[in-house]
Amino acid sequence: MADRSDLEDTSARLDEVVRAAYRQPSAADEPARTRLLARLASETGAARGFRGWFAVREYHARPVWVAATLVAVLAAGVWLGVRLAGPSNAARVVARGSAAATAAAAAGTAPVTFVLRAPGATRVSVVGDFNNWDAEATPMMHSGSGDLWVLNLRLPRGMHLYSFVLDGSEWRPDPSAPLAADGSFGGHNSVIVVEGAKGL
Amino acid sequence: MRRALVLAAVLTLALAHAASADEAGDDARLNARLAPDVAREVSALVREARTAGLPTDPLIARAFEGASRGADAAGIVAGVRRQATAQAAARGALGAGTQGDEIVAAASAVLAGVPADSLAHLRLARPGGNLVIPLVVLCDLVARGVPADTASVAVVTAARAGATDNALLRLRERIHTGIENGGAPGVTVNLVVRQWLQQSPGGSRHAEPGSEKKRSH
Repeated sequence: MADRSDLEDTSARLDEVVRAAYRQPSAADEPARTRLLARLASETGAARGFRGWFAVREYHARPVWVAATLVAVLAAGVWLGVRLAGPSNAARVVARGSAAATAAAAAGTAPVTFVLRAPGATRVSVVGDFNNWDAEATPMMHSGSGDLWVLNLRLPRGMHLYSFVLDGSEWRPDPSAPLAADGSFGGHNSVIVVEGAKGL
Repeated sequence: MRRALVLAAVLTLALAHAASADEAGDDARLNARLAPDVAREVSALVREARTAGLPTDPLIARAFEGASRGADAAGIVAGVRRQATAQAAARGALGAGTQGDEIVAAASAVLAGVPADSLAHLRLARPGGNLVIPLVVLCDLVARGVPADTASVAVVTAARAGATDNALLRLRERIHTGIENGGAPGVTVNLVVRQWLQQSPGGSRHAEPGSEKKRSH
């Protein structure tokens, strides 16, 4: 029995020694602490950079600054909306007739073919809001047979006004496209609508 | 919070810069093509339109069209002013949320003589739908000699009966053919639209051209 008691005492002392050893700071504790602090500091530094924009933080904002920010963001949204809703994008041509239409959306434009039968004309061009109504900018090509003049263009999505100019002076609307109102300069223009993703 | 302020400042500066860049770009385009005094007057009209939130490119295009057609200085400025006035009237009739192309198409209808209340009826006939094609068809009919009231009633009636853009374009072609074959414009419009209403699914449930005007005006 005495042997057993001695063994239990020895075991109890051994346990106490082990517990005491665990309670002592280890030799590597201080350097590890230093390394840990350094790593934390570096991560905090990174958070101030790119990731910091997405970090969840507590802000205390004055109402006036919040209101100013909201107004600025709203103004930006309105401005962007107005810009994006402007008449300039495309995908499908709706207007029928000689300025007719194939579609195929590509970067906001679509191919359009203008065709005019103009007997006796030696020079024909297309003028419109897409070329600043410049009679020299977009000449049509004679088809080589008959009196047909043809031009392939890519036009931005949206509604466009245009006309044909024969021999540099005679303005003529497209005979088979919709007419626009007389724009105060003594003649009708034609309308082409290049359709796109805006619900046209 | 400091970040939000920086963002707001950047956005504000970007807005101001974009607006001034737009103005400078427009002025440069106008000065390159028009006489200085004409360019100055047109530029003022363009600035007014931009301030009012109206499309500005159609005004510049109108000035260039006038120059290309050989209009004199007063004629160019008058043409641009008419366009600006028509755009403002068109937006007033169609509502504040009207898209740029709709405003331009409606302005063309106004210039053709379509009454503003007809534009409002068209908006009601297609709530939330795009009106560019109906307006293009309406303007075309008036330009081909159909009385504005008759054309308005026809297009509003067809739109209210559910006519799609393609259906309206087909109607326009049939009307055009009828007029070219000697039909009186107003009579031809009523005839073609009445036929369409009788043939289209659900079309007979809607009022025929003629009765529409009495109901809506």
